[in-house]
Amino acid sequence: MPKLPAIHIGKLSFLLAILVWLALLFVDLVRLFGKINNMDAGIAQEFTWILEALFFLMIYFFYQYRIAKDSKNDFLELIWRAASTGIFATGVYLLIQIFYFLLGDTKLAGDPFLRNFFYHVHFALISIFIISTSLIWRSLILYQKSKQVVKQWQTYELILLGCLFFVFFQPVSFDYPFLFVLAITILMAVVLSVNLKWIPYLTFKEKWKTLLFLFFILLCAGLLFFQTNRFLSSSEMYPINLMDNLFLISLFFFTIIYAFFSFLVTLFNLPTSSVFEQKLTEAINFQRLSQSIKPDENEEQVLDILLDSCMSASYADGAWLEVTREQEIEIAQARFIDEKTKKELFYLLEENSVKKQWLAEHIPDHLQPLSLKIEHSKYLTALIVPIVVNKSLIGQLVLFKEVRDGFNKEMINIISTFARQASIAVENHRLLNQAVRNERYQEELKIAQRVQKSLLPSKLDHNETFDICAYSNAADEVGGDYYDTFQLDEHRFVIIIGDVSGKGTSAAFHMSQMKGIFHSLIQLNLSPSEFMIRANAALSRCLERNHFITASIFIIDTHQKTFCHARAGHVPTLMYQNHLKKAEYLGIDGLGLGILRNIQYENHVEEKTFTFQNGDLLVLFTDGIVEAKNQQHQQFGFERIRTLVEKNQSKSPREMQTILVDALHEFVGGDGMIDDDYSTVIVKFI
Amino acid sequence: MLSLEIIKEHPHHILTLNGEIDASNSVELDDSIRKMIDDGAQSILVDGTNLHYISSAGLGVFMSYLEDFQAEGIRFIIYGLGPSVLEVFKILGLDQLISIMPDKETVIKEI
Repeated sequence: MPKLPAIHIGKLSFLLAILVWLALLFVDLVRLFGKINNMDAGIAQEFTWILEALFFLMIYFFYQYRIAKDSKNDFLELIWRAASTGIFATGVYLLIQIFYFLLGDTKLAGDPFLRNFFYHVHFALISIFIISTSLIWRSLILYQKSKQVVKQWQTYELILLGCLFFVFFQPVSFDYPFLFVLAITILMAVVLSVNLKWIPYLTFKEKWKTLLFLFFILLCAGLLFFQTNRFLSSSEMYPINLMDNLFLISLFFFTIIYAFFSFLVTLFNLPTSSVFEQKLTEAINFQRLSQSIKPDENEEQVLDILLDSCMSASYADGAWLEVTREQEIEIAQARFIDEKTKKELFYLLEENSVKKQWLAEHIPDHLQPLSLKIEHSKYLTALIVPIVVNKSLIGQLVLFKEVRDGFNKEMINIISTFARQASIAVENHRLLNQAVRNERYQEELKIAQRVQKSLLPSKLDHNETFDICAYSNAADEVGGDYYDTFQLDEHRFVIIIGDVSGKGTSAAFHMSQMKGIFHSLIQLNLSPSEFMIRANAALSRCLERNHFITASIFIIDTHQKTFCHARAGHVPTLMYQNHLKKAEYLGIDGLGLGILRNIQYENHVEEKTFTFQNGDLLVLFTDGIVEAKNQQHQQFGFERIRTLVEKNQSKSPREMQTILVDALHEFVGGDGMIDDDYSTVIVKFI
Repeated sequence: MLSLEIIKEHPHHILTLNGEIDASNSVELDDSIRKMIDDGAQSILVDGTNLHYISSAGLGVFMSYLEDFQAEGIRFIIYGLGPSVLEVFKILGLDQLISIMPDKETVIKEI
């Protein structure tokens, strides 16, 4: 589809209106010329009427477009536009009158063509004034419209459209049909004119301005209406009376009636406008209270808004806000009260028996605002509004008035609603802050988790004579299980597994210490028991008193096919011996690290050397596996591990690990959580 | 769940443990032992007959008082432990540092 150039309705209708007006002027002047010279110009009356109707329509379209485009519910501006148009039309009328007055009795003054020209100028200005004002009234009537009002207006517009062509059927004006239709349009205008919903939204000042503008509109309309009547009686000058049109006269009445109604209603609304403004402010304050809280702002701001809102809602003469901080009452904000008065009032309230009783009788959640009589030289009434957040009283709002019984029921209602709203805002604010903090902790824990993962080796040292794999899982974000490997020389490897007492963050920190100790001591080429003694000495200095670490260490010699092993309180390691087809736990004594923090530890650790053969297995694990419980509170236990290993001895370490972990989860139950860290390291000699 | 009870049977303070000791309630155990020491107890007997489980955090509590007991000459004996709990003490090697006895009669006979 080729795109049509956008037609500018405003400009087009404006241009057409001018053209139609010029045509109308030309036609009438030609007719006048014919009349004066006693010639029939051959132009029918209907021709003028058509042009007139067209002119009205063009103005109607033009203003409809303009008003729809410009107005954004600014009533005052709309009314001013109507008034200014009226003033302009009246001004031009007066100028013409002055012009003729100055001309006096000159020949030019009597020239029918010039008179006719001014008559047409007049006609145009009056039409513009009436039609534009009617359209402005329309937008006012349809403010907060209901379906019914829209229907009424549409009917009215249809009748007016009919009026536009009335003259074709009934050329004689002010006969019965004419008056009948006019009566109908006036009646409809009255019905429509009760729609004045825009008036309450004006402020006190705006109402005064509106009254002034409406007065101008009435004045101009009245003056021009009077002028229309004068034109009616001088038909010999003007071959066709343009004003004598039902459409125009109907609109004239509509303009005047609506302006008159608006004027009266605005006038009578003046005294109550402060109440309406008050209600509007309250609504806005509610909104401010509920929107005032953002995570980085503080509660003071909400309380500040609360104090101001309550003061304006109750017309209080003074107020303060008490906040309870660590059992101490502190006046956080005060309004219109000096230090001295504040002290006096504070003392008066502290001593007030009614207040004491009120505080003692109710739990914070049920506290209602309390109105008190006070004996003070300036203030006679006080209203105490409790601010309850999370079921505890965080503060009180105290309002003062210089009159007795200054707070009525409506005020107390609105104030307690304000206080509740503020409480909700503060509560939400606290929750939000907490959520933000928690979020941050979660982030920190995630970082800790990542760091800890990197503490466990990603690559396990080994050579072609044995295969190894390892697995670790923490109950919380971070855990206290540890395993590591180290290659001492070409055919000697160290494997360690450890478990820090407790779990979670503290265990994770000790686990990282254990890693540091392992990597520094292992370089010294120590025997397993020597390693444990040194590790115990080092850990004794840095572990908390009630923490300990258990560990098992293996130094594997793949050349000799032996491994030397020491155990420090750790769960025994399972060894599967291929030639016996049996798995046994390695029996060796040893005390956990950090339990005995002196030289005596030497007596509580031993080491043993074992030989291994191809196909033998070493299964290292932590107590999280042994102590994992099922629904019946049974532990997974050592025997289950042994049976599993014997049954699956032919599998690779990786497969064995998967089988073990799966069996563990199956044992604990579908969604049962294993609430301890657990790890396993599996070595297979090949 | 853990419930603790201290009974004075001159010259002993008997601490009876009921239930399970884990990280969440090991503080209660710690408090009880601290209370007995502050009370001037010279002989503390722990009745573990109804102790079904003890985690490393619980073991850490016993362990942390070993030096205090030694320094103040307090006799500390645990008795009546079930096989699985006893195993946990043994694995860690605590049985080498704490006197663990099968039952109360043995305790009375021994001392």
